[in-house]
Amino acid sequence: MKEHNGISATLMLTPAVFFLAVCSIYPFIWIFRYICYDYNGFRAVYTGTRNFSRMLSDATFWASVMHTFEYAFYKLIFILPLALVVAVLLNQRLRGSAFFRGVYFMPTVISTAISGMIFTFIFATGNGILNALLKNLGIIVKPIGWLTTQSVVMAAVTILAVWGGFGNYMLYFITGMTSIPEDVYESAKIDGASGVQTFFRITLPMLSPVLKVVLLLAITSAFKDYEAIMVLTNGGPGNRSMVMFLYIYKLIFGTQAGTQAQIGYGALLSLMAAVIVGSVTGIYLLVSKKLDDVV
Amino acid sequence: MMNVLTGKKTGVVYSATQRIIRVLLFILLLFFAAVTIFPVLYVVFGSFKENSELLIGGSNIFPSKWIIENYIEAWNQANFAVYTRNSVMLSLGVMFISLFNATMAGYVFSRKKFWGKEAIYMLFVAFMFINVGSVSLRPLYELAIKLKINKSLWAVVIFSAGGGQAMYIFLVRGFVSSIPRELDEAAKIDGCSFFQIYYRIIVPMLKPVMATIAILSFRQGWNEYILPMVFTMTNDKLRPLTVGVNMLKNAGDGTAAWNIMFAGATISVVPIILVFCFFSRFFMSGMTAGAVKG
Repeated sequence: MKEHNGISATLMLTPAVFFLAVCSIYPFIWIFRYICYDYNGFRAVYTGTRNFSRMLSDATFWASVMHTFEYAFYKLIFILPLALVVAVLLNQRLRGSAFFRGVYFMPTVISTAISGMIFTFIFATGNGILNALLKNLGIIVKPIGWLTTQSVVMAAVTILAVWGGFGNYMLYFITGMTSIPEDVYESAKIDGASGVQTFFRITLPMLSPVLKVVLLLAITSAFKDYEAIMVLTNGGPGNRSMVMFLYIYKLIFGTQAGTQAQIGYGALLSLMAAVIVGSVTGIYLLVSKKLDDVV
Repeated sequence: MMNVLTGKKTGVVYSATQRIIRVLLFILLLFFAAVTIFPVLYVVFGSFKENSELLIGGSNIFPSKWIIENYIEAWNQANFAVYTRNSVMLSLGVMFISLFNATMAGYVFSRKKFWGKEAIYMLFVAFMFINVGSVSLRPLYELAIKLKINKSLWAVVIFSAGGGQAMYIFLVRGFVSSIPRELDEAAKIDGCSFFQIYYRIIVPMLKPVMATIAILSFRQGWNEYILPMVFTMTNDKLRPLTVGVNMLKNAGDGTAAWNIMFAGATISVVPIILVFCFFSRFFMSGMTAGAVKG
């Protein structure tokens, strides 16, 4: 009986372990196999350290790293305060809170590929509805090339990212706030605290453990985003919205016109990208721990 | 606590200033809601416009003349019937595999003691955080070609389910751990084997978690984009909606076929929004359980 149960437990765990081995561990090991090779999908040629020296002098790659940081910064600086404010407002038991919460969360259930596409329509220069609305309101005279001008494309990318993601963070904050005891608010009210005071003196400090986790999630996920950007701008114009994982994708599958797949080089860059994301996460954890000790 | 969740009134009396502030806040929320919902309404209404109207543009969200032809054309000529079928099969496939896999694995992780369990579990956790991004699609793609499963949707289903499994397993494991072990013991005394306890005792109790996993994994399959795109680069017949619609955009005549793309985007977006409307609490509980607690 005992042995029999051991066998069934093994069998029940097999699919999960199989998936882990095939979908996670195998690709990870596979990367190391090709980092020193020039591999186009058919032939692999050993090139020693050439990939590495190419990476050091690859301006497009380092620009894409900078764009990733830029994107993450813009996304976080807009999405977190907005999500927090909305969460606080929904916590005031206004009429229709549940409805609003549902509406705000809705974009997160839509495929980023489709929402990226919808926004290419909205941002279109000539016949896009955003330019038409801005023109009607008298804000602009000439249509803005949201997706074709280097100076504004990051704004477009950020708008899409905030639209598509802020429902998630709102929900995290709402969940965090439900754990703040009601009587804390009651006593603050009795002491005559205003809404703004309550927010800064009670909600924010009591939310700080949640805030820390949410910030971690927000940072790591912002660095990983590339699907929506791929659909919206494909990294353009002139690589201005190229983030590192999008650049790597293009290398690995050779989707740039007239280029072959450069898998070995892409593998090396993706390791570098993983190191960058890992370092940012590590630094964040370190800083937030230090802050804990100080405060 | 329930008041916060449901937004029900608690009979508090507000002063006049407070009431004005609350009305203003309500209007602010309404404005946010309008902005949030606008892109979806725009594409849904736009899908009933004539292509000429879409290409001229303008700020009118409603069609000047309502037509249904875009859908007929998308369905018949642009292969959307096939894309939709593929999307449904992909989502259902990912959903069923995730349900079976996660409930079994989560149960074993919670209830069975065996050598190396902690190590295996740590691997699951670690690979949730190790992220090499798009590059991992290449080995999977080459593997599928070697195994000759790249000509069917199964490869996409398996790799999608495999890629997203960790979170679902954690959810089940947490829930099973909260079920009293006395239940297992009692069933064992009655002669139930390890597997019988799973499907007689545990699975019936897992229903809320299973609903969450079903919803989240269905959405995962429905929204999958880069994975199926890579696998169907040369095979139009296997494309799900997300890929099919975007292929139209990338095709040279992209500007000309706005009406088809609007219809396609609507076909892709509306079902998942409907699912969300009916099961929103599972979406939301899954989000927070997976992220904040996990």
